[in-house]
Amino acid sequence: MAQPAIEIRDLYKRYGAFTAVNGLHLTVEQGDVYGFLGPNGAGKSTTIRMMMSLIAPSSGSIRIFGLDLKADRSSILRRIGAIVERPDFYNYLSARRNLELLGRLSGTDVSKAATDRVLGMVGLGARAESKVKTFSHGMKQRLGIAQALLHSPDLIVLDEPTTGLDPHGMVDMRDLILELAADHKKTIFLSSHILPEVELTANRMVIINRGQAIIEGAVQDLLNAGRLKVTIETPDAQRALELVRATPLGSHVHSSTETTLILMLERGEISDVVSMLSNAGIALLAVTPVRSLEDYFISLTREGA
Amino acid sequence: MILTAYRVEMSKVFSKWRTFIGFLALAVLIPIVVAGMSMQGEQFFKFATSGLKDTFEFTGHLLNGYAVAYIIFSSLYLHVPFLITLVAGEVLAGEATAGTYRLVLTRPLSRATMVNAKYFATLTYTFLLVVCMAVLSLGLGIGFLGTGEVFIIRQQITVLQADDLLWRFAYAYAWAFLAMATVSSVAFLCSSLVENAIGPIMTTMSIIIVMTIISAIDVPLFDYVRPLFFTNHMNSWKFFFDDPVRWDRIGPSFLALMLHIIGCFVAAHIIIRRKDILT
Repeated sequence: MAQPAIEIRDLYKRYGAFTAVNGLHLTVEQGDVYGFLGPNGAGKSTTIRMMMSLIAPSSGSIRIFGLDLKADRSSILRRIGAIVERPDFYNYLSARRNLELLGRLSGTDVSKAATDRVLGMVGLGARAESKVKTFSHGMKQRLGIAQALLHSPDLIVLDEPTTGLDPHGMVDMRDLILELAADHKKTIFLSSHILPEVELTANRMVIINRGQAIIEGAVQDLLNAGRLKVTIETPDAQRALELVRATPLGSHVHSSTETTLILMLERGEISDVVSMLSNAGIALLAVTPVRSLEDYFISLTREGA
Repeated sequence: MILTAYRVEMSKVFSKWRTFIGFLALAVLIPIVVAGMSMQGEQFFKFATSGLKDTFEFTGHLLNGYAVAYIIFSSLYLHVPFLITLVAGEVLAGEATAGTYRLVLTRPLSRATMVNAKYFATLTYTFLLVVCMAVLSLGLGIGFLGTGEVFIIRQQITVLQADDLLWRFAYAYAWAFLAMATVSSVAFLCSSLVENAIGPIMTTMSIIIVMTIISAIDVPLFDYVRPLFFTNHMNSWKFFFDDPVRWDRIGPSFLALMLHIIGCFVAAHIIIRRKDILT
C-alpha cells in the first residue's frame, strides 16, 4: 500500500502562552482531495506553514510521502507545490520571469513552453510578459497556482486558493482542482473556510478549531451525519408551525416566515411531518431537505468555541 | 544549488531600480569632479599647497590623473557605504516585506543556501560598485589629465612618483572592497533581524554616522573605543600611500574588518535558520 501523502502526529505550535496548533493529528492518503476546514484563527495557516517548513513546530511530527520533514526537507519540497496565504510575488518582474526564477530554485524546466503551459492552465497566457505589479489580486492568485504547478508536484497545498477570485475564477479553480486530482492523479490539500468549495471538491476533510481536529472523515459520511435542514413551503406556515410545536418535534424548529417553515430533522422524521401537515389540510408547495456542511461546520465550531 | 540560487539572486538584484542608484551616482559625480579639476584644478592645488609655499618649492605636474583619483577616493570613501546599504540592507528584509520568503523557502533549497546566495550577490554588487569607482576615477583622471607624481600631506609630506602609484591604487581599491564588504555585512545582519526593508538601511547608516563622528572627535576617552569601530579600520587604506607602506597598521585593521565580516555573516545565518517565517 502506498505511503500516506501527509501524516501529522501530535503537532503543537506555541507562541508563549498561546497555543496556535494543539496536538493536531491527521492523515491524507495519496490521491485525496483533502479539505482542511476551520474558522479564521483556527490554526490552518500555522499548520500549513509548518508543513512547508516555514515555521518550526514546538513538538510533534510531520511526514510527507513517508519521509520526515525535518530530516528530508529538500526531497519533500521537491514533491510539493504550494500557495501559502496571500499570493505575493516580485512585483518588479513579469509573470514569466517570476516563474522562471522560482522554477530554477525548484530545479525544474523553465523553458518558455513550460511557463506557457502553466500560465495557460490558469488563464494568464496573454499576460505572461506583464509585470506583476499591474496584476489584480485575482490574477496574482492565479499566478500563485501557476507557480505551485510549475514543477509538476505530487502534492499540491492550497491555502484559501479562491480568495479574491470572481465567480468565474472560483468555478475555474474548482474545475482545475478536480482535473488535477482526477486526470493528473495529484493529491490536493485544500485549506478553506468556504464550505461549498470543500463540499464540491474534496473527498475527505477535517474540521479544526483552536488548533485541534474536531472531526475527520469522508465528506459524504460527514454530510450524512446529523440532521437535515428541511424547508417546507406552504401558504399556511403559521398554522403548520403551531401544529409542529404541539408535537415532540417542536424542539426541532429552526426558523419560520409567513410562507416557510424550517425544521432540523432526521431522515425518517420527514415523512411523519409531511403526513401530519397533509392530514391537517395544510397545502404543501415544496419540501426541500438540505444536508449542508455549513450548518455542521457552524455547530461544531460553536461547540468548540 | 548554490550557483543556481546565486544566479537567481543576481537576477533579482539587477532587476531593481535601486541597484543602479549607486552606479548612477558615481557615473555622474566622478566625471563632474574630473571635469572641474581639468578646468580649475591648478587653483585647487595652489590653495592646497599655499601653506607650504614658504618652505617648499613645488615644481612638476601637480594636477594629474593620479592626484585627482586620490582626491576622489578620499572624498567618496565615506559616502559610498550609504549607496551600498540601499541594496545590502534590503536583500533579506525585502523578502519579508514583500512576503516572498514564502515563495523562496518553500522550494527545495536550504535556508543556509539561500543566505549564502544572497550574501554572495550582495558582495558581488559591492565589488562592482568599487570597480566602477576605480575605473571611472583612474580611467577618466588619467585619460583627461595624464599621469604624474602625487603629494600626500598628512603627518608628513610624501611624494610618490608616477611609476610608484598604480600598485598602491590597486591595494587601496582592494582595501575599499574589504571595507565596503564590512558595511555590506553589517547591513546584511541588520536585514536578517527585521521584516521592514527601511529599518536595516537606516540602522546601518546611523551606525556609520555615529562611529565616524566619535572617531573624529579627539578626546582621550574615545581612544579606547575607537579601535573597536569598523569605520576606524576602513580608513587604513591611507597607509598604502605611505612610503614605506605601513603594513604594521594595515595588518590589525585587516583582521578587525575580517572579524566584522565573519561575525555578521555567521550571525545572519543563525538568525535566518531559526526564524519563523510569519510574513
